[in-house]
Amino acid sequence: MVLDTFLISGLFHVVMLIGLALLLHLQLGLSRIANFGVVGFWGVGLYAFGVLYVRVDWPFGDPIQFVVCAALATVAAGLCGLLVGWLIADLDVDGVMVGTLGFATAVALLATTEQDLTGGALGMGGLRFPYDTGDVAVNELIWLLVLVALVAGILAYVWLVHRNPYGRLLIAIGSNEPLAKSLGKPATRTKLGLFTVTSALMGLLGAMYGVMVRFLEVSSLGIELTLAAVVGLVVGGSVRVLGAVVGVLLTVGVFDIVIQSYIPLPADWYTQTIPLLREVMFGLALILVLVFRPLGLLGHMRRDRLMKRIHGA
Amino acid sequence: MVPESTTTVRPELAARTAPRPRLTLANVVKSFAGRTVVDVEDLSLGNHPIEGLIGPNGAGKTTLMRLIMGSLKADSGQIRLERAGHRDVVLSRLHAHKIAQCGVVKTNQVITDFDGLTILDSLLLSVTPERREFPLHLMGERATYEEHRAEIERQLDHFGLENTRRLALSAGEKKLVDIIRCLLLKPAVLLLDEPTAGLPGEVTQKVMDAVDDLAGNGTTVVIIEHDLDVIWNLCTQVTFMAEGRVMLRGEPSEIREHSTVVESYLGQGHV
Ligand SMILES: Nc1ncnc2c1ncn2[C@@H]1O[C@H](COP(=O)(O)OP(=O)(O)OP(=O)(O)O)[C@@H](O)[C@H]1O
Ligand SMILES: [Mg+2]
Repeated sequence: MVLDTFLISGLFHVVMLIGLALLLHLQLGLSRIANFGVVGFWGVGLYAFGVLYVRVDWPFGDPIQFVVCAALATVAAGLCGLLVGWLIADLDVDGVMVGTLGFATAVALLATTEQDLTGGALGMGGLRFPYDTGDVAVNELIWLLVLVALVAGILAYVWLVHRNPYGRLLIAIGSNEPLAKSLGKPATRTKLGLFTVTSALMGLLGAMYGVMVRFLEVSSLGIELTLAAVVGLVVGGSVRVLGAVVGVLLTVGVFDIVIQSYIPLPADWYTQTIPLLREVMFGLALILVLVFRPLGLLGHMRRDRLMKRIHGA
Repeated sequence: MVPESTTTVRPELAARTAPRPRLTLANVVKSFAGRTVVDVEDLSLGNHPIEGLIGPNGAGKTTLMRLIMGSLKADSGQIRLERAGHRDVVLSRLHAHKIAQCGVVKTNQVITDFDGLTILDSLLLSVTPERREFPLHLMGERATYEEHRAEIERQLDHFGLENTRRLALSAGEKKLVDIIRCLLLKPAVLLLDEPTAGLPGEVTQKVMDAVDDLAGNGTTVVIIEHDLDVIWNLCTQVTFMAEGRVMLRGEPSEIREHSTVVESYLGQGHV
């Protein structure tokens, strides 16, 4: 195989973050729901999937077992989205940030303390691919392709949303909720629906990650994942369709794949120095972009061009 | 011989005589931090096509309209909408978006807009039906535009707004777009909060023509204005508010007869 396992898992991480950042684009970029608890919804999907897959005696095997557990995990994350979304519905931006951050912290705490189910700080094994080709690298490559297909689907959906009345509604609600309501738009219900579905999909990405790593660790539930998605989205441009893709590639992609794979770094850096360096570089990228290009590298939404393209000048 | 014009009833006059949508307010009270800002015992709007609402700054006119729209909740009292062919609804029990769906809409005194949306976006948003805004309905954009194109272009022509695919509107343009959004909804009740403030005279006239047209088609219009000439010209019923309460109510001529009361609030030379 040309692709080594290290590269495949790096790519998996990048593509997964593009997916998360695209979902965050719908929440934050269009509807202005400042979700700082991305890792919470992702983590609910990850752990719900892991616990269901490993701890429950299913009467059927893979791939049905995977499909059922992943579906239930997606629903669990969606229900969390519904509940959190309902709690934060009337809060201002600060309240939404604190509320979602608090939710993510609670998820990490629960995963750590519920040792009987999750293995706590020791972690939990027993996950596997829902198929087996006999070669781990091939298994992983196939799983990466499945993820690419899913994220491509999300990207296509986002692209369509921008070109249809639903996207306009989200932008309107995000930009002036009282005005949208005064035109008869059910703003609260729309936001809640969006938050539920996007949170559910974050959960699905979590479940897929669980299969890829096959070992659940509570350390993955830290703030790093949320930060990577937020930084990626903001660096690329939070209001643009391709902002998430460009931003994640330029931050996580460049650091995790290009720098770590092709620049010879001392081996003893990998446990402590590199994760630290990563956060510092992301923080720096964020500051630079916010100072010199506050709307991200891709900039404004450009509805003017889009309207001309769709409806003619 | 009887001239023909007196034997045929003009359609807009026929519409004027049909029962109009009517708003009834009973004991509506609203206070902010212990200060009562609106206290309306009994007010019925819609017995006339275009009603005026006047009063000094801070009288509670905007607050009263916001209570009707549900963007503010009253402390107590009831606001009802009666509409021929529809069930009576208690608006004060509904969410703001439901009130708008009942056909009650308002233009804003303070300029409000959706930033990031073009003029065309803003107008399309207004006319798009809910089913087309469903998250999985991903084909409805062109159809929505084609269905409403004629109406949208008619309004844009009327107001002389050009190049609707652009962002960054001037304050006056935002005000006009706010009004057109409401006109496109063909509302049962249209509340106008100082629609002409900040607009040049000829545009004011266009707004008034459009409003007159809508009223002729059966919409109940309530208009807040500080320019009393507009009120005397357009309205057949005027409500004078001060300190949150309805002080006077009647035809323009009757209000002008009470010039001492009105002038005591608005200053000399207004009536
Ligand atoms: N959200 C609010 N919080 C506190 N006080 C408010 C609020 N909204 C309005 N008020 C107060 O209520 C009173 C009535 O305000 P309102 O805007 O209804 O007056 P108005 O009759 O529309 O005046 P104008 O002619 O200047 O527009 C004012 O004294 C104002 O300070
Ligand atoms: Mg006012």
